[in-house]
Amino acid sequence: MSERLIPGPLIEVRDVTKIYPSEAQVAALSGLSATFQAGEFTAIAGPSGSGKSTLLNLIGLIDEPTEGEILYQGRKVSCLDPAAAADFRLRHLGFIFQAYNLIPVLTAMENVEYPLILQGVGSEERRRRALEALRLVGLEAFAGRRPALLSGGQQQRVAVARAIAARPLIVLADEPTANLDSKTGAQLLDLMQSLNHDNGVTFLFSSHDPAVLPCARRVVRVHDGRLVDPAEGVAQDLDADRVG
Amino acid sequence: MLVLAWRNVWRNLRRSLITIISMASGLAAIMFGQSIMKSLQQQLIEKATGSITGQLQVLHRGLRELKFPDRLIDDPASVEKALAAQRGIKAYAERIMMMGLASSPTSSEGTLICAIQPDKEPAVTTMSQYLVAGDFLQHEPKGIVMGDRLASKLDVRLGEKVVVMAQGQDGSMDADAFRLSGLLHSGSLTFDESIIYVPLPAMQQMLSVGRKVNQFVIRADRLDEVSTIREELSQRLSGGPLQVVSWEDIDHEIVGIERFQDAILAVVLFIVFAIVALGVLNTLLMSFFERVREFGVLMAIGARPRWVLKLVLLESAILGIIGTALGLAGGLVLIAYFGHAGLHLPVGDAFSYFMPFPDVIYMRVIWRDHAFAAVCILATSLLAACAPALRAGRLRPAEALRHV
Repeated sequence: MSERLIPGPLIEVRDVTKIYPSEAQVAALSGLSATFQAGEFTAIAGPSGSGKSTLLNLIGLIDEPTEGEILYQGRKVSCLDPAAAADFRLRHLGFIFQAYNLIPVLTAMENVEYPLILQGVGSEERRRRALEALRLVGLEAFAGRRPALLSGGQQQRVAVARAIAARPLIVLADEPTANLDSKTGAQLLDLMQSLNHDNGVTFLFSSHDPAVLPCARRVVRVHDGRLVDPAEGVAQDLDADRVG
Repeated sequence: MLVLAWRNVWRNLRRSLITIISMASGLAAIMFGQSIMKSLQQQLIEKATGSITGQLQVLHRGLRELKFPDRLIDDPASVEKALAAQRGIKAYAERIMMMGLASSPTSSEGTLICAIQPDKEPAVTTMSQYLVAGDFLQHEPKGIVMGDRLASKLDVRLGEKVVVMAQGQDGSMDADAFRLSGLLHSGSLTFDESIIYVPLPAMQQMLSVGRKVNQFVIRADRLDEVSTIREELSQRLSGGPLQVVSWEDIDHEIVGIERFQDAILAVVLFIVFAIVALGVLNTLLMSFFERVREFGVLMAIGARPRWVLKLVLLESAILGIIGTALGLAGGLVLIAYFGHAGLHLPVGDAFSYFMPFPDVIYMRVIWRDHAFAAVCILATSLLAACAPALRAGRLRPAEALRHV
């Protein structure tokens, strides 16, 4: 499902600092460095306010670092203008949000189709890929329903389908289970795991829930805007990890 | 984008309907106002030109006052020849118009003498339609027709003699006796109290002017061709002592009224446009603030800022198009109804001093003005959308996603 698996880090976060403009000038991230490989299923863990979401936002190019840089496959992307950043997100990134964030006036199918419409994919191909994504998340039968008629778990699965339909390099998920009960949350993680294992979708997700972390093949812990253990920021060889 | 914009418009049905209805009723009100004003103006022009002025006149050059030509046309035949060759002319008639005195055995009154060709005049002006007794100079070669109020002042009845006195070309006073053959009641003080109609040959004989007249009054096939006919006819008569003037030159008071009404209408239109713009702006701003997070999502999944800007503009355009279409339909239905049934307004008294004018306005569709209003309403809805659209386009995805 993922675009490709290539050797070397997919993402490099180099000495990134993020300070939100306010009177206090608190740094949400301070000189954080990390690398992520294609094919990973990685959790960014930490308590609320530790900087997990900020890190995901920076990696997802929906925010800009105050200092430092983000590279995708060796290309610096943290300085792109808003339109170029939007194009990069459209072509290479998928997003899952804590609050599902589906577009309420569109059906599940249309929500999944939307990134493909923005990409300019033809209607037949678009429908085929959207249906395939919905089938992968088990919601093919709910394609015609609007979000208000779906449960929270179903909405989040539609969000997963939307994120993977455009075949991104990586899916970034910010607290994807936080709004779900534990059973539904576990089901969603199972789904993400199987997409990673069976379809090669790369996932990078944040969570403050310790119960979620065992599902991840790699955990990067963040506290007060820094890595708890800088060694965790270095991506391991994926094949070796799998064998291990 | 169109599907998303369309559904976004209807996600808050009540709010969108209120906006659409306010736009539609605003446009319908504007069209109604335009139609009342323009129909009133058209009726005013038709009444003024149809009562006495005509739409065009051929006069001698160098007159002191166009309304009362003090110089005679020496060669009426050359004018007739030019008029016969001119296209777009429905009818014309020769006249002598001058100030004079009408006397009965008991009283005298200053009047406007209108010496007409009884067979041709009814095709140019409509005064014969106001006849309430007798005939309009059809049978009596030395008949006289006047308003009932003047007849009452002179204390004369049908068949009785009235002496008409006027100044001849040489400055001497000429007089002749006429027999009252018709009474008019137009409802206009000026017409019913101050104007007398006599046959042109009798007047020419009284003044000893041969076949000379001082005015050719012309009715065009179409009012909007008057200026073209004026230019062409002026060309035909160029080099001579004559001039061609239009009703606008003679009845400049009506042009003034028209301009004043247009100015009032422009102010009213501006106010209505402003109200519509505020309504649309309110709707779009509310919609914008409700959907900041959603714009953030759209941007996060790859929508460019300009795409989001276009989405907001498109939503406004949809509201504008629906509102404009409904407004046009509503306005046209209203105008069609009052065009058929007539709108009763107490305007007759206001204008009756100057001319006969009814209390009913028959509304007409003024396509050019209505089209302008419709385009303005549409443009207003788009302009009102610019502020929220620009704000949406400038959103930063991370901040928009944090918006509560």
